[in-house]
Amino acid sequence: MKPVIELEDVRRYYTMGEIIVKALDGVTLTISRGDFVSITGPSGSGKSTLMNLIGCLDTPTDGYIHIDGEMTLGMDEKDLAYVRNQKVGFVFQQFNLLAKMSALDNVATPLLYTGVPYRERREIAMSALKKVGLADRMKHRPNELSGGQKQRVAIARSLVNNPSILLADEPTGALDTHTGAQILELFEELHSEGRTVVLVTHDTDIARHAKRQIHVRDGRIGEAG
Amino acid sequence: MIWENIHLALKAMVASKMRTLLSLLGIVIGVGSVIAILTLGQSATKSITQTIVEGGLETITIFPDRSDPKVGEFDEEFTDVLKKNVDDIETVLPVNSSSALVRVEQESSNATVSGVVSSYAAVLDYEVAEGEFFTLADNLSSRQVAVLGSEVAAELFPNQSAVGRYISIFRNQAKSYLVIAVMEEKDANFNLQYNASVYIPYNTYTDRFVKPTFVGSYVIRVADGADALAVSDNVSTYLDSTVGTDAYRIFSPASLAEMATSITGTLSSFLAAIAAISLLVGGIGIMNIMLVSVAERTKEIGVRKALGASPRVIMGQFITEAMVLTLTGGLLGIVLGVSISYIVARAVEWQLFISYTSFLLAAGFSTLVGVFFGWYPAYKASKLDPIEALNYE
Ligand SMILES: Nc1ncnc2c1ncn2[C@@H]1O[C@H](COP(=O)(O)OP(=O)(O)O)[C@@H](O)[C@H]1O
Ligand SMILES: [Mg+2]
Repeated sequence: MKPVIELEDVRRYYTMGEIIVKALDGVTLTISRGDFVSITGPSGSGKSTLMNLIGCLDTPTDGYIHIDGEMTLGMDEKDLAYVRNQKVGFVFQQFNLLAKMSALDNVATPLLYTGVPYRERREIAMSALKKVGLADRMKHRPNELSGGQKQRVAIARSLVNNPSILLADEPTGALDTHTGAQILELFEELHSEGRTVVLVTHDTDIARHAKRQIHVRDGRIGEAG
Repeated sequence: MIWENIHLALKAMVASKMRTLLSLLGIVIGVGSVIAILTLGQSATKSITQTIVEGGLETITIFPDRSDPKVGEFDEEFTDVLKKNVDDIETVLPVNSSSALVRVEQESSNATVSGVVSSYAAVLDYEVAEGEFFTLADNLSSRQVAVLGSEVAAELFPNQSAVGRYISIFRNQAKSYLVIAVMEEKDANFNLQYNASVYIPYNTYTDRFVKPTFVGSYVIRVADGADALAVSDNVSTYLDSTVGTDAYRIFSPASLAEMATSITGTLSSFLAAIAAISLLVGGIGIMNIMLVSVAERTKEIGVRKALGASPRVIMGQFITEAMVLTLTGGLLGIVLGVSISYIVARAVEWQLFISYTSFLLAAGFSTLVGVFFGWYPAYKASKLDPIEALNYE
């Protein structure tokens, strides 16, 4: 079976005037479908850069990326938006919910861009919220929810288009240990249902839960465990 | 997607009501003043035209200029000359008038005393209310008889019939006249103030008031079915070639009505220019507020892009927002304009004529302004880099 994520000598350089920052410096990596991968590494090592590239939020300076068998090189913004919408579910450290919308509307937003009609959107969003245990909070706005609840909403949102990949960049980073553990349980559950999960964390305890552990340092990767 | 966008736009608008209102002010005032001026302009024309039409379009009045040396041409024979030389004239009535004091015992009134021929009333469809208009014989014999307009009659004989009574008309000296008829009310026809006049036989008037050959004015009745405007033009052409342009003035209700309409026409195109300028100014205000809105919501745009919103979708969202904004401004402007028109029309007692086409135009234009001036901010939003937008604080 084709790997769901394939990176070939991927580089991402930033030019800051005279200086070139090599955020990623030649990463080759394949992740198979249904895997649970943790990414650890010191701050500034390039973890987020890697996630953004996999999630098609960013494009590499050099190298090739295949997502679910599709080569992203040469894609325009419209095609990239399509990949983000269909293939990837992104969970951020800072939740990134839309503040003026209810939990339900937040969860339903990706479906809006897929072109799903209103009623169906609500139904799908509803069952996603149920899945993360927030069915009773669907009318609440983000500022009426706790950190853990916000992240659950964000996870529900990442699930509605049934993506091939779940990307989570330090999803527990803004949460206390207890809540973080619950969120982690949720990811493990999603993985056990057959989803591919890639999870960035600075917490080695958390990382140990993953089947496969990748370590990033200075824009390059090494494998552990 | 359109409904979602409209929904989002309304939400954004409600979220910052005061700012929205201020940013819309340009468009509201622009659209409002155009609607007001347009509505009032049209109401004014309608009112004026209506007054003119009610008075009858089929008369034309010529006033010789007494100071012109050629004024001698305007004698009684001139009525026949004119009829012979210009087509579609049914009758030409010579009229002499001046204002004079009219008295009955204690009551007195300042009225226009007109010397008219016996066919005057019939030619102008001027109905007798009581008694009978004077005859050709009355005229030829210069009888001392008078016919009262309805207002004069009401003033001088408030409680009784005027017919059969005597009135005194002062002009150098007082003369007594037998009232033989009172006329029905008739709307003024610009130059012919029917109701406030006292009519006496033409010859009686010339005997008493002026030197015999002079005629004060000619009232022309256009032939039935003829174009009053064309006849008026032909009369002017004829007079220009015989007595010259300076020797007379001509008044035709038809030409006044046409003038009124053409003034509104000119006004309308002038207004279009004002509208364009005010909408331009309003549009720049919208562009400004949209740029602010895009900057403020950079993070939101980043999130939406991360969730799979294509550039086109983002663009659509912000253009819709601008359109909803300007359309709201347009609608508020229409309300403002109509309110102003209503108040003004009430104050000056015009009948309010509301043009729904102008509403459609205003709404359409303000929406277009939204598309036009919302384009650039929306384009900017659509081009934002997803990561930079997401990390924006
Ligand atoms: N937009 C950017 N411009 C310049 N340098 C950047 C930018 N984004 C990230 N970097 C740099 O790239 C490196 C990797 O960053 P990042 O992937 O965010 O690290 P991590 O998520 O592992 O903390 C860092 O040195 C960071 O300063
Ligand atoms: Mg990071």
